[in-house]
Parts: sequence; C-alpha cells; structure tokens
Amino acid sequence: MKANIRWLDDPETFRINQIAAHSDHLYFKNYEEWEQKRSSFIQSLDGKWQFKFSNNPQTRPFDFYKTNFDASDFDFIPVPSEIELNNYAQNQYINTLYPWEGKIFRRPAYSLGQKTDRSFSEGEDNTVGSYIKHFDLDNSFQGKHVHVFFEGVERAMFVWLNGHFIGYGEDSFTPSEFDLTPYLKEKNNILAVQVFKHSTASFLEDQDMFRFSGIFRSVKLLAFPETHLMDLALKPTITNDYHDGIFNAKLSFTGTKDGYVRLKIKDINGQTLLDEEHNLTSTITIENKLLENIHLWDNHHPYLYQLFIEVQDSNKNLIELDSYKFGFREIKITDDKVVLLNGKRLIINGVNRHEWNMNSGRTITKQDMKADIQTFKRNNINAVRTCHYPNQIPWYYLCDQNGIYVMAENNLESHGTWQKMGEVEPSYNVPGSLAKWRNVVIDRARSNYETLKNHTSILFWSLGNESYAGENLIAMNQFYKSHDDTRLTHYEGVVHTPDLKNKISDLESYMYLPPKEAEKYLKNNPSKPFLECEYMHDMGNSDGGMKSYIKLIDEYPQYLGGFIWDFIDQALLTYDPISGKKVLRYGGDFDDRHSDYEFSGDGLMFADRTEKPAMQEVKYYYGLHK
Amino acid sequence: MDYTNKLHIIYGDAALGVQTKKFQYIFSYEKGGLESLKINNKEWLYRIPTPTFWRATTDNDRGNGFSVKAAQWLGADMFNQCSKIHLTVDDQKFDPLPIAPFNNQFSNHEYANLVKISFDYKTTTTPATICTITYVIDSSGRATIKMRYIGREGLPSLPVLGMRFIMPTMATGFEYYGLSSETYPDRKAGAKKGVFRVKGLPVTKYLVPQENGMHMDTDKLIITRNTSLNNADRDTNDFQLEINKTDKPLNFSCLPYTAEELENATHIEELPLARRTVLVIAGKVRGVGGIDSWGTDVEEKYRIDSSKNFEFSFKLS
Repeated sequence: MKANIRWLDDPETFRINQIAAHSDHLYFKNYEEWEQKRSSFIQSLDGKWQFKFSNNPQTRPFDFYKTNFDASDFDFIPVPSEIELNNYAQNQYINTLYPWEGKIFRRPAYSLGQKTDRSFSEGEDNTVGSYIKHFDLDNSFQGKHVHVFFEGVERAMFVWLNGHFIGYGEDSFTPSEFDLTPYLKEKNNILAVQVFKHSTASFLEDQDMFRFSGIFRSVKLLAFPETHLMDLALKPTITNDYHDGIFNAKLSFTGTKDGYVRLKIKDINGQTLLDEEHNLTSTITIENKLLENIHLWDNHHPYLYQLFIEVQDSNKNLIELDSYKFGFREIKITDDKVVLLNGKRLIINGVNRHEWNMNSGRTITKQDMKADIQTFKRNNINAVRTCHYPNQIPWYYLCDQNGIYVMAENNLESHGTWQKMGEVEPSYNVPGSLAKWRNVVIDRARSNYETLKNHTSILFWSLGNESYAGENLIAMNQFYKSHDDTRLTHYEGVVHTPDLKNKISDLESYMYLPPKEAEKYLKNNPSKPFLECEYMHDMGNSDGGMKSYIKLIDEYPQYLGGFIWDFIDQALLTYDPISGKKVLRYGGDFDDRHSDYEFSGDGLMFADRTEKPAMQEVKYYYGLHK
Repeated sequence: MDYTNKLHIIYGDAALGVQTKKFQYIFSYEKGGLESLKINNKEWLYRIPTPTFWRATTDNDRGNGFSVKAAQWLGADMFNQCSKIHLTVDDQKFDPLPIAPFNNQFSNHEYANLVKISFDYKTTTTPATICTITYVIDSSGRATIKMRYIGREGLPSLPVLGMRFIMPTMATGFEYYGLSSETYPDRKAGAKKGVFRVKGLPVTKYLVPQENGMHMDTDKLIITRNTSLNNADRDTNDFQLEINKTDKPLNFSCLPYTAEELENATHIEELPLARRTVLVIAGKVRGVGGIDSWGTDVEEKYRIDSSKNFEFSFKLS
C-alpha cells in the first residue's frame, strides 16, 4: 500500500495498518526487571530526530522516507516536543472558533450535502513536519516481533520504515502503534514520519487550547517474546455487602502460544490471594474468583492489589512477566438518582486539567504529573476530568495510586461547528448524525476504552466536550455501555438536544450553570444525578461565591459535585527583549489572530505551577466533604 | 512646647499645621487634603489621600460588562475636586477658614485638645455625589480618619469604596493581623485569622494585571519603610506606620501601583518600575465572582450599592 495524502481530507480514513487499541499493562522479562521498573522489551526512541519543516503540503519533501534520500539539509528537533515551541511555526491560542477563522473558508466533508475537497491536503495553513530517526535494535530485540508505539502525535501522521510505507494515524491523544517487523533490520533502520497539522480530525479536535502540532509524546519500540500478552481486561467487582471481591479477567495472547500462564494476585503485604496456572491459548478467561475480606479502593484508601501474569514457554521458563495494580470499587446510581461509590455517596471535588507546561506546552513530564497529584492531595481535590482528551498513560497510574477519581474524556471537541458568537447554530455540526463521521468517533471511544479500561481510578467515561449531539454521540454512548457495566457515562453537550437525554449520559451534566438554576433541576424530581462538569471559572482573580455551589451538596443528595475550570493557566514562558526577562505570554501575544487572548489562563495554578490565592478557598470548601 | 500635652496648632496662610512631638500634620487648603503626615520626622505622604472608587477590573468584571457599566467611577477615581473644607478646633468652628488676614490674630503658641477637619470631595460622576473625609486628631496626636459616602440613585454599582494613600517610597513590607493570603468578601471562607508578615509589596501575578492583594477583616496593619525622599535624611533604619480598626475591622491592599497603573498593563512586565507604596483602605469591597467569566455578575450581596450612604473609619498611630 502507498501513502495517500487525500486521507487528510477524508473523515472515513483515520487509521491505516494500526494495531488495534489494547490495554496499557506493563510487561517485563522477569521479576528483576519488574523490580527495577525497566523492561528490556522497551527501547525508547526519544531524543534528537532529524527534522524538516514545511509551510504547507505542497512544499513538503516528498521522498524523504526513501533510504537513499539525502537529508543533509534537515535540522534536529527533540522528540517529544511541539513544533511551534521550536519556533518553526507560529503559536496560536484560540478557544471556540477554528484556528483558520478569517483566513480559510472550510466546511466539514459531508456536512451541508458536500463531498470531500482538498481543503487539508492542499491547505495553505497545513504545516508539515518531516521526521527521520535512524536506530539500531537493542540486543534484546534481535529476532523478535517489534512494534513502534507513538503515544501522541498532533494531528495526522504517515509512517515509513526503511523506505516502506507502514501506516497512517489520527487521534492526537491516544497511542498509534504499528508493526515494523517485516521491514526491520538489526542496524541502521530509518524511521520516517510525516506529521500534518491539519486533517478532517481538526474538526474533532477544537479544544480550548494553544494549537500545536508534532510528535509531542514519547515514541518507543516494543519487542515481544515468542508469546506475548497483547491485551488484558480486568473486571474486579464487589459482593457480600462490600466484604468480598470477585475477580474476572480476560487475557489475549499473540505469538506461538505454546506453554503456560501463571496468574497471581498479591495484597500490599505480598500475601498471595490467588495463584493458578493455565495452558496457553489465544484467550484465557478467569471467571468469578472469590477473594474474601478485600480492601476497597477509594480516595482516602487507594488500596491496590498486585496482579502478576507469568507467561511461560513449554519448559515452564518465564518468558514474559506482566504486571498490573488494580483495586476493588463499585460505582452505581440508586433509584433516587444518587451516585454511590462503594455504597457511600460520592462527592466530586474536582478540577478540569489540561496537560500543560509553560516551557514545553503539552509535552509534560512525570515530574509535572507528580507535582499536580501533590497539589490535589494538599488541597482536597479528589477528582480530575481529563479535559478534553486522553492524557499521558502514566497519569492514570498515578491516579490509581493516589485515589484520584477520573473522568476519562475522549479526544473530541467540535464546538466551532455548532456554536458561533455564543449562539447555538449547528448547521454544519460534526460528528452530528453524519454516517461518514461515525466510525471515526467510535474509534476514539474504543481507543480511550481499550487503552485505559483497567484503571481503577476511572469512574466515568466522558464522550467528549461541547460537540453538540446526534446519532454519533448516541453510538459512542452505546459503545461504552456495551463494553463496560462498571462505570458511568458522561456527556454535557446533550443539553442542547434534550430529546436525546435518555440515550446519552448517565449524568445530568451542565457547565457554569448558576447555583440557583442547578437547584431548580435538583428540586424538581431529577431524572439523573446532577454534575457541574465545569464550574467556578478561575480566570484571573476569581473563585468568589463557591459557597453557593457547595451548600447544594448538603441540600440535595443528587448533587454529585463538580469539576472546577480549570487546573493550570495555559501560558508560555517567553523571553521579553524589552525587559530582558522571561515572562509569561498568552493568546494573541505571538501575533496570532484570530485569538481568544487571556482566556488561555483560567487556572487555579499559575502557569509556573504555583498556586493562585484562590486555592485556599478551594481547599476549604473541598475539605468540607472529603 | 509638648510639655503642654496638647496639640500645637499653626494657623498658616494656606494650610493648617497640627503637631505633637511625634506627629506633624499639614492640611492644605489649596490641595484640599492632608498634604503631610510626619511621624517621628518621617514623611508618609506623596500626594494627598483621596477617596478611591476604582479597582483594576478583573477578568470577570470585564467579562460580565461591569467595567463598561462602572466606567465613570474610573474618572471619579483619577480626578477629584475638593468642594468644601470644614474646620473645628476644640469648640471653635471656623467658617470661613482661618486664612490671612483673619489668621494674623494667632501666634506660634496656639494649643488645642482636638482638631477636626473635613474635606468634601465632589465626584465627577453624573449625577455627582459627595464623599467626605474627616480627620479627628486628639491631644495625643493620633488621627481617626472617617470617610462618608453619600448615596445617589442613578449611579452604577461601585468597584470599590475606600481611601487611597500614596507613600513617597516603596515599603520593605507590611504586617497585619487579619486573614491569610488574598481575600474578598465572596472568597474568604478558607482564610485563617492570624498575624501575617509580607515581604515587599507583592503583586499577585495574574496573567493580565488586575485587582489583587486585598486583605479583608483586618484589625491592625503596620507598614515598614526604610527610605525617604528627603535628601538630608541619611537614616536607613526601619520606620513604621500603624493603622488600627475602630468599630469594625478594615480591608486593605498595599501594592506598589495604583488601580489605574494596573488597569493599563496587559502583562505584568509592562507595569512601571515599582517606586511607591499605594495603600487602599476599603470600606466596601466588591466580590470577585467566579460562576463564569463572560456574563454572570458577582453575587448580589457582594456588589456595592451606590445609592446607599456608607461610612467607615480607622485610626493612625
């Protein structure tokens, strides 16, 4: 197959040759590697890559992926990083409208009865990053099946290895994984990636944020032993009045599948609760294992059990060790429309969190994540909405370990297609009910679900943000409902199409609904639990009047709480030649037009990760219902 | 002269001097206010204190249109006119004021137990209203300062209602007994009461400079400086101004900038070089709000109703 740039224009083409999304379990060669948290099956490709920037698709290097290509005029760029923050392309911050507002007239393919055009494949604003990485395989990789794993690339990419086309991917915020095995050499492999800033996916990724592009999350190679656990689906449930647990799991393997699988569950003292052996087959199902006197998982006691899966060859030699930490918790809605966690009323003292670093944009580090978790713990924040895209995978592990309740949101926001100058105007809304835009959003739901399904901390699947509602949002809701009965679904945008409320979202969700309006709903025999998925807009000097929301918690059991907008200011640290200082800049400060200017800064934290004065108020009110 | 334990009164041609060993006040009839406040020979005023009506609008103020609605208070904050001065020394009420030649009857040996001087400031709003600042100085030399605002129908809600003191040099810091961190009437539940020492005059680093640094419910404030503009003063020791509540706790902000300077900057680095101390004692503080930043006003009980009379006071020592 050959790469075709017209895929950029076609909403039905969003993944070519990609490995199906699967669980994010860690795997190692043996217990020693597990203890050292270093897997010899993983080879990082982060670091310096050769790079060529092009202003538009017409001027991109066409043959750069070929093995005889002369790349001597290429620069070097760090991977991961944002192309814009390397100063190749202009920074732009915009909220609702699309970044091409006032510059290019675009309508989504198949909206308003049109067909596809060449709006993206020939788009003057469609900057291109062409990346080349030379690599030798680690010794431990020799002769193995090898995949390349991109954790996040904005926004559409084509991949080649040693001159051969490997695949194509969209969805900037979930992993894109491809099989490299057929074209792989021991030494001097040439991985070529071409990243386009825009494609039809741009209509689905209109989040309120700086609009960047590039390979902005880590890239790694994954090697597989002769048999590999490809997917793990855990389903721990609770029984006997919250005393005992029931463990279910489905294990899916690739490779030769000769040998045995040994499965162990240990508590935090290393006590073994389950230890059983199975013959290797493609799929192994563990059913209804009763674990007595379990510890439940919640914000105060994030108790996790250690699962080990030993993959053994036919001589019972350990060839792969898989690890996962999981907890037992149960979320449900009572007949009175109260949300219970482990049988007790759940209160969401939450924040919305964009991934942000003032130096590196959405390329954030584990240190940033750990600092944010510490800030949560210090200030009684118990929940996070991953607005408005899946986060880096380590974040979910940290939430599991620290008892942070997660609303795991899909990478979907299309408010520019239905909200104009504050008015609802859905004439060319996508995904809407357009059949041609269905698979792409289902795929986003699937990637979010399959990758993250084992995280105990995830209590809610969120279909996306501000995308209006139609048949396609219904289909996304159905996807989650048909795959997962242990979590609730969430979507706010259905408020604009109330007829669909019985088909979308387990929660009645609003954003910025004033307390008195919220009370009206709560007073009037609520048909669903009520949530403010965004509230207390923390732009500048704000967060006054929080009491009016918090007292609703005491008055109405159906009030679930809310997620403050938002956690951290999106501002960029920039050198100011006038003052000679490093200063924080926001939208519009880069000659970027159209912009929404200082609306980029709505955080409880300043962009340098220091707390705004308002945080003491949040700590107090969130401390009232810990 | 201080052996008398009384105030020494200087009936000047254009100003009234009031002195004890520790305190020296000059009330200017020309400038229409307190021109000089010296404590232990250190000057605390750069310009006369005035009523203040404007705060640098917050993102929320701008978003809900309050800055547009309240705009005339910005003019009233920047420009004011003293329309009338009332002076009483002990039991003697001076009307007209004791200026030349009337004051020729006095000497350099005039003493009193109590001086009360008021300045009426007429606002530049439409309709106009009056704010009166009254200084009452007792025989110890300590001043109680009272501001009275006359409510008028037809005026927009107020951004702030207080008094502004601009001091000649930048303070090295301040200490107060009140609430932790930055507080507003609708954002102070999480604050702890205690003594807090603040180094320098920090400006909260909101992306767009805006109202910041308010401290609600304060019993006592001490501002410390160690520099003056007096070319003959080589002393570098700390010196202090103490402000106490009277009947009710006071609210204050102590920053190196006026509301107008903050209002004018789009980024923190655009603020002028910090060189003075701007103290706002606010009788009434508007809340900051927070429901959203594009339309919803601050909750009603945290707005300042301009149609109602209001007064507040505090004490210098």
